[in-house]
Amino acid sequence: MNIIKLSVYSITGDSFCIAAEDGEKVFMQLKKAMDEKMPIDLSFLNIEMLTSAFLNTAIGQMYDSFDENEIKSRLSVSDIKDEDKLLLKRVVDTAKAYYKNPSQFEESINKIIAS
Amino acid sequence: MSNHNITNIENTFESYLKLISLYTENKEKWLETIDVTISGWFSANICSMLGAILTKLQNELNTVTIDAKDSKDILERNGFLAFFGQKRVFDYQDTIIPYQVLSTEDDRYFNNYVFKEFISKSELPKMTRVLKNKLTESIYEIFINAKMHSGTHKIFVCGQFFPKKKKIDFMITDTGYGIKNVVNNRFNANLSAVQAIEWAVKDRNTTKENISGGIGLSLLYEFISINKGKVQIISNEGFWQLSNGEIATNTFENEFPGTIVNISVRTDDQNTYMLNSEITDDIF
Repeated sequence: MNIIKLSVYSITGDSFCIAAEDGEKVFMQLKKAMDEKMPIDLSFLNIEMLTSAFLNTAIGQMYDSFDENEIKSRLSVSDIKDEDKLLLKRVVDTAKAYYKNPSQFEESINKIIAS
Repeated sequence: MSNHNITNIENTFESYLKLISLYTENKEKWLETIDVTISGWFSANICSMLGAILTKLQNELNTVTIDAKDSKDILERNGFLAFFGQKRVFDYQDTIIPYQVLSTEDDRYFNNYVFKEFISKSELPKMTRVLKNKLTESIYEIFINAKMHSGTHKIFVCGQFFPKKKKIDFMITDTGYGIKNVVNNRFNANLSAVQAIEWAVKDRNTTKENISGGIGLSLLYEFISINKGKVQIISNEGFWQLSNGEIATNTFENEFPGTIVNISVRTDDQNTYMLNSEITDDIF
């Protein structure tokens, strides 16, 4: 086997990936796969609905555990609808920004208080 | 025993103020009878807010009765009155999106509601596939927001289609901490309710610890902006509204015990919501 294939549907058992708890299940499998140092394909076949909360947990928090370049070189997605691809891209960009500066929200609150 | 008359309840600050007053006047009551008379117009989606308030009063062992007068037919058929001592009527046809009290712990029950009672109804106004997806996505994002941040176990939902006006109104209410308390507790801050809502709807702002987020409400904001619909957020004493691209805020004298998100979506919207140039395989 030269690629690890993971299926969101198989992991969650549901076409509707809504809750962060389900995202955590996907994250745990991804984390396990990342430790194997092999390429990973994450399939979204049979997934009808995704929320940002699910994707934040499933994939966003990967950027806390792994280097951005390592994720980029080893993780790919397949069978994903265009609109879900857009949402995933947004979740990924948000996660990258967040983990670079997790205290940015305190700063934004302070700005409101100061204004 | 106390009697309350609420008149002409629409999707406006003034109407929400009337319902918050109803809550404020009764919230300390225990083992009493509270009679509510609804007269004039009553927007069916607001059953969500009224139901949340009256359920809180019932939780204090008060008996709540409703005389719905002109709105009796619609409030009977959308299932609302059955929660307040009246016979349940099974007639969820036509333009009704029924009143339901849903558990935030059971996503599948929520799925069933959204698809069976709402999105897949044959009477739903004609919408493009993309619009239907955006609407569904928004409803899920609001639900998941309430589930993750409010601290409550139940949410109250209700809606209504308006085929001739080509719009759908839908309201989701939780009786949790409210956005102000969640934000202020998380950051040890002292924002007003309006400031806290304004902060929460900004892209990428989140109160979650150790995980990124803050996309859900901004997705809703962007969708409603393009759709030229309306979104209102009532949380604690704050009122925030985006309507026709304009934001308005206001403050209630008393606070609502939780958060309400009310959306009004135009169903004749032909926007594509997705530019081909935005779709990329360079995700990571």
